[in-house]
Amino acid sequence: MKATFSPRALAAAVTTLLALSGAAHAGDTFLAGIKKHMVLTNTVPDNGDQNPYAIAVSPITAGKLKAGDVLVDNFNNAANLQGLGSTIVNYRPDSKEMTLFAQIPRTLEQCPGGVGLSTAMTVLKSGWVIVGSTPSNDGMTDTKGAGCLMVLDTNGKLVDVWSGPDINDPWGNMAVIDNGDKVTLFVSNAGFGVGSAKGTPPVVNLATVLRLDIEVPAGQPPKVLKRTVVASGFGEQADKSVFLIGPTGLVYGKDDKLYVSDALGNRISEIWDAASRDTSAGIGRTLTHDGLLLRPLALTSTPQGHLLATNGSNGKVVEIDPATGEQLAARWIDANKAQTPPGSGDLFGIAITPQGDGFYYVTDDNNNLVLAK
Amino acid sequence: MKRSLPPHARRLLSCAIASGLLLAGMARAEQSAGNDINPADVPEVDQAIKAKPDSQWTGWWNRSTLLGDMGGLRSALGRQGITVGLTESSEYLRNVSGGLQYGGQYQGLATLTLGLDTQRAGWWDGGSFNVSVLDIHGKPFSGQYVGSIQTASGIEADRASRLWEAWFQQQLNGERLDLKLGQQSLDQEFMVSQYGSLFMGTMFGWAAVPSADMPAGGPAYPLSGLGARLRGKIGDNITVLGGAFAGDPTRDVSQNPSDPQQLNKYGTTFSRHGGTLFIGELQYGRNLPSNGALETPRPLNGVGGLPGTYKVGFWYLNQKTPDTRWDVNGQPLALNLAGPQMHEGNYSIYAVADQTVWRPAEDSSKTLNVFARAMAAPGDRNLVSFSANAGITLTAPFAGRDNDIAGLAVGYVKVGNHQAGNDLDNGIANGNPLYPARGDETQIEATYQYQLTPWWQWQADLQYVRNVGAGASATPSDYTSTQKIPNSWVVGLKTTITF
Repeated sequence: MKATFSPRALAAAVTTLLALSGAAHAGDTFLAGIKKHMVLTNTVPDNGDQNPYAIAVSPITAGKLKAGDVLVDNFNNAANLQGLGSTIVNYRPDSKEMTLFAQIPRTLEQCPGGVGLSTAMTVLKSGWVIVGSTPSNDGMTDTKGAGCLMVLDTNGKLVDVWSGPDINDPWGNMAVIDNGDKVTLFVSNAGFGVGSAKGTPPVVNLATVLRLDIEVPAGQPPKVLKRTVVASGFGEQADKSVFLIGPTGLVYGKDDKLYVSDALGNRISEIWDAASRDTSAGIGRTLTHDGLLLRPLALTSTPQGHLLATNGSNGKVVEIDPATGEQLAARWIDANKAQTPPGSGDLFGIAITPQGDGFYYVTDDNNNLVLAK
Repeated sequence: MKRSLPPHARRLLSCAIASGLLLAGMARAEQSAGNDINPADVPEVDQAIKAKPDSQWTGWWNRSTLLGDMGGLRSALGRQGITVGLTESSEYLRNVSGGLQYGGQYQGLATLTLGLDTQRAGWWDGGSFNVSVLDIHGKPFSGQYVGSIQTASGIEADRASRLWEAWFQQQLNGERLDLKLGQQSLDQEFMVSQYGSLFMGTMFGWAAVPSADMPAGGPAYPLSGLGARLRGKIGDNITVLGGAFAGDPTRDVSQNPSDPQQLNKYGTTFSRHGGTLFIGELQYGRNLPSNGALETPRPLNGVGGLPGTYKVGFWYLNQKTPDTRWDVNGQPLALNLAGPQMHEGNYSIYAVADQTVWRPAEDSSKTLNVFARAMAAPGDRNLVSFSANAGITLTAPFAGRDNDIAGLAVGYVKVGNHQAGNDLDNGIANGNPLYPARGDETQIEATYQYQLTPWWQWQADLQYVRNVGAGASATPSDYTSTQKIPNSWVVGLKTTITF
């Protein structure tokens, strides 16, 4: 007997099958396993600093740090001016306490422009904390300095400052290859040639990714052995609302590849031979672009090796398979409708929990540290 | 040398270096990828900038509030869970054509809000207290100069310093359910049009039907009412809220129906009289995401749907309400001294829609939005039986003006049929068959809101009112009592500062 299908029924069946296949696909993702979002703490310290940016999970117990502690730095000061935040707070998951880990002098002499802590922060296995500064004197890029990288000990005490002509607003979250006494650190610089945010500021294609080959002598602060620009030419732009836009997220992955979130290009780039190359790879190869991405900022890597990117222009985190560049799924983690699109400008840092069962993120609209698991 | 250059020279130097960098960048773009110029090799002006110590007034022009951290007070209070907000709105409106008389008036409103988060205060989770105080200065404009039902300003009220809201809210099931108890101003949550709130006209906020038909205008600015409100999220896109409030926020509006605000002069009457006002609203969000929602991939360059919010609601007041035309004997009130017929209660239904209809890119600040709101009430017991607002707004209308908004809107009210009949009866009773009977009034408003700094807004406004007062008599300027108030043009300027 011959079966007949109306075009409408056929279309409905195809749509259903596509939806089911999509749902099954989403079920394989790290994000599909996330069941709830828990606000852990408000990150505003006593001096009133706001806008939590970077998140780094301590791998070590030493000084004021305990393994698993979540460090969060602040980009804004108490008056909500960008590039003037100078504090790092510490959230301890087991006691649920939030304490001040470090308060760095804002007018640090060795740091051009002073201190405004950015999304660049890491805690090494040796306990040294390295944090970036993208400073301003009035909350806008008109008065921004080149900034620096600062080294703190496990008690939050400043022990060294790295600056120089190849460091200009270390902006994005760091990627680290940490072998204890030898460390390779990648940091993006998004301040070269960025001018005022007034009017319609131009996109300047001068942002870089700098590799620092570092030695960590026993009991001594880390020393930079070599500085290499491994990527350059990413777009950067002054912005009235979010200070500046530039490459932000960095993850070091398999096969010596470094993944870079190119915010203005709305794409994820991959830089090959990242740990060994001596020259710039330019803006690298495009792993994925557009789709669910909307100004990708911070990056992290899931236990199965997928990338998670927080979107700057909406409240989504996007999961990407770095092997294929396929965007697997996205999850709304800040749907604040006060912004257009919802959650726009609220997300920055992201970090996987030590257990690999979820991720920490910050919401800048209400200065909260949140755990999704 | 770094700091000794005069400002204009520094700007020139910065421009020159920036231009050099741009040219270098352009030149680099023309080269092959392998020949990139290392920015580290280019002189960089940012290396020379030194940090300045910040003070209370650092970044005065750029910060989100005029007073910033208030010398540490705001953050010190914040650590205790206390938030402080202070805004001042000042406006000048001038009737330049038609209306009751030419002329203008200044009116201002200062709003002080104190909030307490119980979790941050170290008490329990999910609770918040809110107290707000109003200082209304200047004089109301519309009644003296225009005579419209749809008054020209949303802050028009009697000069006073008064308690506005005082309530406690508790989350009961995470973010899914919350209960609010205490003195509340319903215009903060019910019947709200997101895009309509741009406009200066009162009725784009608390609409004409509740303003004209509820006792003393209902529990809304500048009054508020005691009651309870429950709000629940049903699924990701549907929210239900409902409440019960004291029906008359002045205790007994009949004591001064022409100026009921004087009956609750300081906002501390805490009336539990006038029956019970029940209000409910169902809200549906379209293309509005919720936390935790998972999305599967879409085609590259795919754009999400445009957001919209749709609401339907009702209110019901269980207080006996007088007919606006007939007395207890079925005779015109205008011709008899008998009391009015009384109806069992009063009610209204309403619908609100806010929809973004155009956005050039998903992350664009430029959006074109439309809104519409309509509400109806029975015409036998109400001054206004129907009111509607509709309009269009354009955010970020010009390049580099991301926080400006331009808008054009229209407001319409229709006087209840019994009230219109009563006008005719009054004409007959006074021997003046040409006495105008009220019908409807239309208001058109064009406005532009300019964000000068994050804490300072300016708003220019133009309003035209057709059939002022729904065609009310121009008495006393017309001794024959046969003429209507001429159509009116109003210009206005408003400034709002957030401290």
